[in-house]
Amino acid sequence: MNVGIEAGHGHLHFMTVTDAAHAIAAKELSPVELMQAHLARIEKLDPTLHAFIRLDGEAALAAAKVAEAEASASRLRGPLHGIPVGIKDIIDVAGLPTTCHSKILDGNMTTADAVCVARLRAAGAIVVGKLSTHEFAIGGPSFDLPWPPARNPWNPDHHPGGSSSGSGSGVAAGLFPMALGTDTGGSVRNPASCCGIVGLKPTYGLVSRRGVFPLSFTLDHVGPMTRTVGDNALMLEAIAGHDPLDPGSAAVPAGRYRRALDRGAKGLRIGFVRHFHEVDMPAEPEVTAALEHAMRALQMLGADVRDIKLPSLVEFAAVNRVILQSEAWAIHGEWLRTRPGDYGKLARRRLMPGAFLGAGDYVTANKRRAEMIAAVNAALEEVDVLLCASSMDPACRIDRPAEVERTYPRQARTPFNVTGHPALAMMAGLSSGGLPLSLQFVARNFDEAMLFRIARAWEQASGMDKKHPPIG
Amino acid sequence: MQPMDKEFMQALARRAGLDKALAEFPDDVAAAAAQAASVMARLKAPADPRAEPWPAMRAGDGL
Repeated sequence: MNVGIEAGHGHLHFMTVTDAAHAIAAKELSPVELMQAHLARIEKLDPTLHAFIRLDGEAALAAAKVAEAEASASRLRGPLHGIPVGIKDIIDVAGLPTTCHSKILDGNMTTADAVCVARLRAAGAIVVGKLSTHEFAIGGPSFDLPWPPARNPWNPDHHPGGSSSGSGSGVAAGLFPMALGTDTGGSVRNPASCCGIVGLKPTYGLVSRRGVFPLSFTLDHVGPMTRTVGDNALMLEAIAGHDPLDPGSAAVPAGRYRRALDRGAKGLRIGFVRHFHEVDMPAEPEVTAALEHAMRALQMLGADVRDIKLPSLVEFAAVNRVILQSEAWAIHGEWLRTRPGDYGKLARRRLMPGAFLGAGDYVTANKRRAEMIAAVNAALEEVDVLLCASSMDPACRIDRPAEVERTYPRQARTPFNVTGHPALAMMAGLSSGGLPLSLQFVARNFDEAMLFRIARAWEQASGMDKKHPPIG
Repeated sequence: MQPMDKEFMQALARRAGLDKALAEFPDDVAAAAAQAASVMARLKAPADPRAEPWPAMRAGDGL
């Protein structure tokens, strides 16, 4: 088994958000020094990784100088003071274009921050730039767009997952320690799985979607992407909370998601959804072995693990697709009628199916959705958290479209877009080819603290947060 | 569910206003129609026809 690079905190570019924030608050680290280290890393690696659509380095450095002056005067803006963050380019950042990685919106200048970006800035974070995505967060790794697709830092010949591709690639490679992604059918958790980082799809409605270009209104989520579980919880604390101007926003306050981080797995009841990867979509043997290993490790830590049955992945996927394609067609229909040639081939093919679905199909899917929500709620009455697969395969080569097409749907992430439950993907190990393998935890609605608790227990037992790609 | 034949698929595409896409990217339109047919074939109706869709309509102020 390939072990990757075991890096400590000697490299600023692999320093955790938590450590960097503490060091800045203690005046032991300058935000300028931290930003310069990341900009140097970006200059070195981004020509290979293509994580950025638009780097805003000059503005980021200027903001770091302001942050440094504020820190010197003990005036910290918040818990992320001076921390660089990358933003997926379907999320608005004031003064920068939101292109959605598409010719359709090339030059689409925005004047206001999305709510999630504004909250990160209020907490002290500094935006370094806009990141690659699949076109409109759905296409796939495409070579017929104005910008190239992002690459996987574990092996740049392989895709980094998507659609939050630049977010996953850049966090894993140390171009920035945290990023925002969005997740409609798994688009935070797929790159987290492919790139060996931590990606959270929060409970539907916990993080505002205002200022984020929609793909599917009832499935879209904004989520944090980081290298450690603790950093993910810290980032979520900054972006969560009610937004009265987002119609899907839940009327709940942001939680203290780090409160249970170090309570361990002892006494927790874990439901292992084996049929996802053993029956519904049989996983690669290395993925199955990694899941079994994680399950046993959690048992050794004192968790009570039992098998849990949910509806099949095929059923979840059908419901997800009908809803997603219907809602996406309602958004893209006019452009597809008038400017079909301005989309890349993959996005064009994946956005047009809604034209062939009927209103009855959409309502039927939403009726099934209600049953699926009930099924997951019932399972989570028996246990505290679910453990299941994320991806059934490690990331394939980016230049093999047939393999990309075959492996992308082989995943267990869409169920929790359908039901809205919070779900976190992270590394479960490394394949014999040196690529990350992944697992997923799922919790009750708004119980992200439970997700972080179990994920941290696995992280500490496995040391996955110490593994970084052998690049640069 | 039967796969769509070419004429039916083209009629649906035109009804949706996709004439330009049909002329310029006929393979992509056909692939999209095939995807829709495939996903519809896998979608099971709830056993109870009275089942409500989610999310339910709720009275409110709107935007």
